[in-house]
Amino acid sequence: MRFLAGLLLLPILMALPAAAEENGDRLFAPCRACHSLDPAEQGLPGPNLAGLIGRKIGGDTAFDYSPVLRKARDDGLRWDTQRLETFLADPQEMFPGLWMSMRGIEDAAERQSLVRFLAAPSSR
Amino acid sequence: MNRRQFLASTAAGMLAAPALLRGADAQEGPFRVKYYPVAAGMGSRDVTPAPDGTIWFCGQRNGKLGRLDPRDGSFKLVDLGKGAAPHGVVIGPDGAPWVTEGGQNAIARVDPGDHQVTLFRLPEKEAYANLNTAVFDKSGIYWFTGQSGIYGRLDPKSGDMTVFKAPRGRGPYGITVTPKGDVWYASLSGNHIARIDLATGNATIVEPPTSNQGARRVWSDSRGRLWVSEWNSGNVSMHDPADGSWKAWKLPGDSPRTYSVYVDDNDKVWLTDFSANAIVRFDPLTEKFNAFPSDKPGANVRQMDGRPGEAWGGESGTNRLVVIQTVAPA
Repeated sequence: MRFLAGLLLLPILMALPAAAEENGDRLFAPCRACHSLDPAEQGLPGPNLAGLIGRKIGGDTAFDYSPVLRKARDDGLRWDTQRLETFLADPQEMFPGLWMSMRGIEDAAERQSLVRFLAAPSSR
Repeated sequence: MNRRQFLASTAAGMLAAPALLRGADAQEGPFRVKYYPVAAGMGSRDVTPAPDGTIWFCGQRNGKLGRLDPRDGSFKLVDLGKGAAPHGVVIGPDGAPWVTEGGQNAIARVDPGDHQVTLFRLPEKEAYANLNTAVFDKSGIYWFTGQSGIYGRLDPKSGDMTVFKAPRGRGPYGITVTPKGDVWYASLSGNHIARIDLATGNATIVEPPTSNQGARRVWSDSRGRLWVSEWNSGNVSMHDPADGSWKAWKLPGDSPRTYSVYVDDNDKVWLTDFSANAIVRFDPLTEKFNAFPSDKPGANVRQMDGRPGEAWGGESGTNRLVVIQTVAPA
């Protein structure tokens, strides 16, 4: 019986990562007005986000960041998944005076989907 | 104490001298700078004066539309709905504030009497428009931009809405209407301005002379000349559609970042510079700048609007509104 239930659940479980990625792509759609995940695409109003996880905050060398992000960079802070999720909950709370303007994402599951999407190499 | 610090210590509610002059022989003014604290954490940004003397303002961080009474500094907040993130607000022919409400992907009308909210949602296929800014044209049609790459029109009477794809995709940001009735928008990512044919909805691109300038906002003066705040270049530029000419001026200081532009009733040009943390006034006649740095860091004024003698902005980073009054000579 358990085996049968496992078999029935298998297609659902296999579809989960794809669904999460699709959700992340959807959540990233408004961000595309200013950001790109294509490393070759520069000159947008926001920094390039390819390879964001593990990178220094304010780490796109071609981009002119807000003073508060320059300070974070100078302090040696880096993006990890936990910091990015906290940031997305309320960017201004983490970095007061941030030039980017957006309302934070209240739903934790949505934040996590977006973080997973940004962290996935396939998103680039 | 340097000049900026001096201004910071004297700005609130007092006569203020412009702190930064470039090539100026004599300063204009005097000007009076006042700050109005609003709700903590609301990210008070775009503003517009209401006919009754109050000021409407958007709280992008808390999803509220605010209404400040400058006479006593009191304010009210209107909840625009779950997940709301209002960006821009303008007054319609009906006297009501109309809001580009990006969080719900809708245009919101707030009744000025009972503060009831009516939403006009964008079509499902434009689910992530990233709504930005709007104006009413002379026939009462509401034109709006969406930074994801759209602009659109809404007939407030029928509720009919049409969304158009912007010619170069993402970027549509500020929008303005000229005294003649033409509607233009600026494309931040697209580095251009564009005129919308109000009959067909088609947009015609006009390129500023500075490449990759980051045209963020646009505002018409009384002669129909278009003033553009260029985020990337740090310029304010001016395009005269009558003869196709352009002129550009770099804002004072190191690496200016020109975010917003507003032209007042005397055709003086009000800009905001994020690098200088300042509101900057430009006089097209003398070609001189006056800067009014905020008395708090990270003020981030993202838009301005006004009425005779008053230029208003929202300090999104400090949760305050600011007004610079041109004090009439005694």
